[in-house]
Amino acid sequence: MQKKIEPFLYLAPALLVFILIFGYPLARLAVMSLQRPSQGQQTFVGLTNYKSIFSDSVFLTAVKNNAMLLICVPIMVVIALILAVFLFERIRGWQFYRTTLFLPYLLPITVVGLVFSYIFQLSGVLNEFLALIGLERLGLDWLGSPRYALYTLMFVVIWKEVGFGVVLFLARLMSVEEELFDAAKIDGANWWQLQWYITVPQLATVIEFFTVVSVITMLSWVFNYVYVMTAGGPGNSTMVTELYIYLTGFRYNQMNIASAVAVLLLLVTGVLIFLELRLRERSELMQVVG
Amino acid sequence: MRQKLQPLLHLALLVMLFAGCAAPAAQQTSAPAPAETSPAAEKVKLVVWWWGEQEAPGAQKWMDETIAKYQEANPNVTIEAVLQSTDTLIPAFQAAAAAKEGPDIQYFWGGVWTLESVWSGALIPLDDLIPAEERAHYINNFERAFDGKQYGIGWYLSGNPFVYNPKLFEQAGLSTTDLPDTWDELKAACTKLNEAGIIPIAGGLKDGWFGGWLFSIVGRQPHDSEKAFMEASVGKSKFTDPQFAEWWSRMKELIDAGCWNKDINSLDYQQGQDLFVQGKAAMIFGNDTFLKGWADVIGWDQIGVMPVPKYSSGKLADTYVVTAQGWGITSWSKYPKQAADFLMFMHTPERLNAWFQYTGVFPADDRLDTSLITIPQLKQIFEWDTTRPGPNLENFIPSMLDEQSNFAGAQLLFAGEKTPEELAQMAEEVIAKWREQNPDAVKNFELWLK
Repeated sequence: MQKKIEPFLYLAPALLVFILIFGYPLARLAVMSLQRPSQGQQTFVGLTNYKSIFSDSVFLTAVKNNAMLLICVPIMVVIALILAVFLFERIRGWQFYRTTLFLPYLLPITVVGLVFSYIFQLSGVLNEFLALIGLERLGLDWLGSPRYALYTLMFVVIWKEVGFGVVLFLARLMSVEEELFDAAKIDGANWWQLQWYITVPQLATVIEFFTVVSVITMLSWVFNYVYVMTAGGPGNSTMVTELYIYLTGFRYNQMNIASAVAVLLLLVTGVLIFLELRLRERSELMQVVG
Repeated sequence: MRQKLQPLLHLALLVMLFAGCAAPAAQQTSAPAPAETSPAAEKVKLVVWWWGEQEAPGAQKWMDETIAKYQEANPNVTIEAVLQSTDTLIPAFQAAAAAKEGPDIQYFWGGVWTLESVWSGALIPLDDLIPAEERAHYINNFERAFDGKQYGIGWYLSGNPFVYNPKLFEQAGLSTTDLPDTWDELKAACTKLNEAGIIPIAGGLKDGWFGGWLFSIVGRQPHDSEKAFMEASVGKSKFTDPQFAEWWSRMKELIDAGCWNKDINSLDYQQGQDLFVQGKAAMIFGNDTFLKGWADVIGWDQIGVMPVPKYSSGKLADTYVVTAQGWGITSWSKYPKQAADFLMFMHTPERLNAWFQYTGVFPADDRLDTSLITIPQLKQIFEWDTTRPGPNLENFIPSMLDEQSNFAGAQLLFAGEKTPEELAQMAEEVIAKWREQNPDAVKNFELWLK
């Protein structure tokens, strides 16, 4: 019995700190999401705040936009995979490309957002360039039109985030045994078959990791892009849940509503991380069994 | 694993930020017990969180000098002034208010921006700290009055003239003595300016703020008082009523008349204003706090000011939009009396005159030496400030309405995505949502309305 308790005693100080730092704020957040101010007191209102946000068209737009941003994930995976393979095969100038491809990931999002804001203005660099080469008709109000702003934002997110995937995939490819590729080549596999039957399976766990991290990014880590480039506009067309939380809490002074959205966002992200952990466990188990 | 969990940790931190920053429920705010007179030797430290250099360049120099002079006169007092950015001004104070730690003196925009902190118990009334005869000199006190008490004071005035470039007017064949008075005349001027290849009116809506300005400057005309908007906010009338909806149609008329820069939705507020300073646009709905700075770049000869052309005949149509940016003393300050003394020091005639000389902006105090105002355009502004002041309507509506209706609506109108009728309906839906989500705030608005 004593032996069973002993490890927990050793863990207790760290657990206590963990609970104080993480547990208390999370519990308080959950409680706040169930309250509203009334006559000078916080009053328990059950799920009223949750019902309220689900009937708020701006919140629903934010959720829809987060869902739209998920489209970036497969695009990023495919682009990162292709680029990693090219770099792995050491195409001419691969060292230069390796650096430049990762560079966007190192740049602060604020800087990236500001630069692209100028590029994508109606009278910005991109449209001026299109006019210069006679393609003026292709010039759009990239950030000023509710129809295009979200897609423009998605482009910038992909541009910035894909470098991380390239580095992850490349690192894994470097550790794949050369013999696998050599054996396949001897068996007559062409380039596509090499990628499909060797590269992709070997990268499976890394792809899975990058996918989950990217999904989480699209759901809860795009605030800076939106805040700098569009502030959620035009007309809420690029509103995302993080910005909704910020505006509701700090601009509209509605901390209880903001708490309810934060709880939902945390739950969704938490579920995704849990799924990723389970997937990882399963694949590790299969490797051991295999 | 660490990397994998990093996003969750970040999210958890964000979540905790909200939990930690959560404002407590509105607390009973009462006048503080009169502070004990501090012994002369007692060390007092006052912390001031402020904003203003952004719209009144030169404010930093004035603030540094004011603090130095005050500390010299009061050796036991140390003042630490922290200039906030536009984005951190409100969140930082809300976090401070939740923790009941932070500045002794906080900068506030007028109206609801101040009163929300009153309602949450973060500010104390100043009636017992600043004598009535002193407060009588301050301009626009009404913006910070609630339930019979004064919860803050003004610092400087920020108004919205319609600014034009006389040289560009002449270039387009427009008179600089017979300026557009009506909406139709304004549209006709737009046509002439377009024919001359000049952008008639410049603006930038990307960051939203300018949408709120347009609401305040243009939307006011059919109304007699800001109370009309407060009444509509609490549900006594509707934002779909013709007098509230009309400004959207009038804005659409200006768009159809080609009055605006085409890239208005992809420029932020400052970039829109810069088009005027760059000599590309003939008119802007400007801010008088920027006039001196613009004149330093393009010269006073390229700056003219005029009232906003009229389309309606409400009493507010003849007023000049002006608000007093100001101060409040926090409920957790250990030295409210000393804080009030410092605020009064800011309003001494020598400091008022220095403020105007450094910034070209008018202090919110009638004791300014008016002989210092030598620029005709500024004389005109001061005359409007003192003879026909009118409220900045953004200060009298919930910020949610401003952001989700005015900011977003203006962007959708200019993008051609919504009609004026749809935007009026959108405003009504937003305010209905605000009422449903904020029953306590509605009661405060009703009390404020009285």
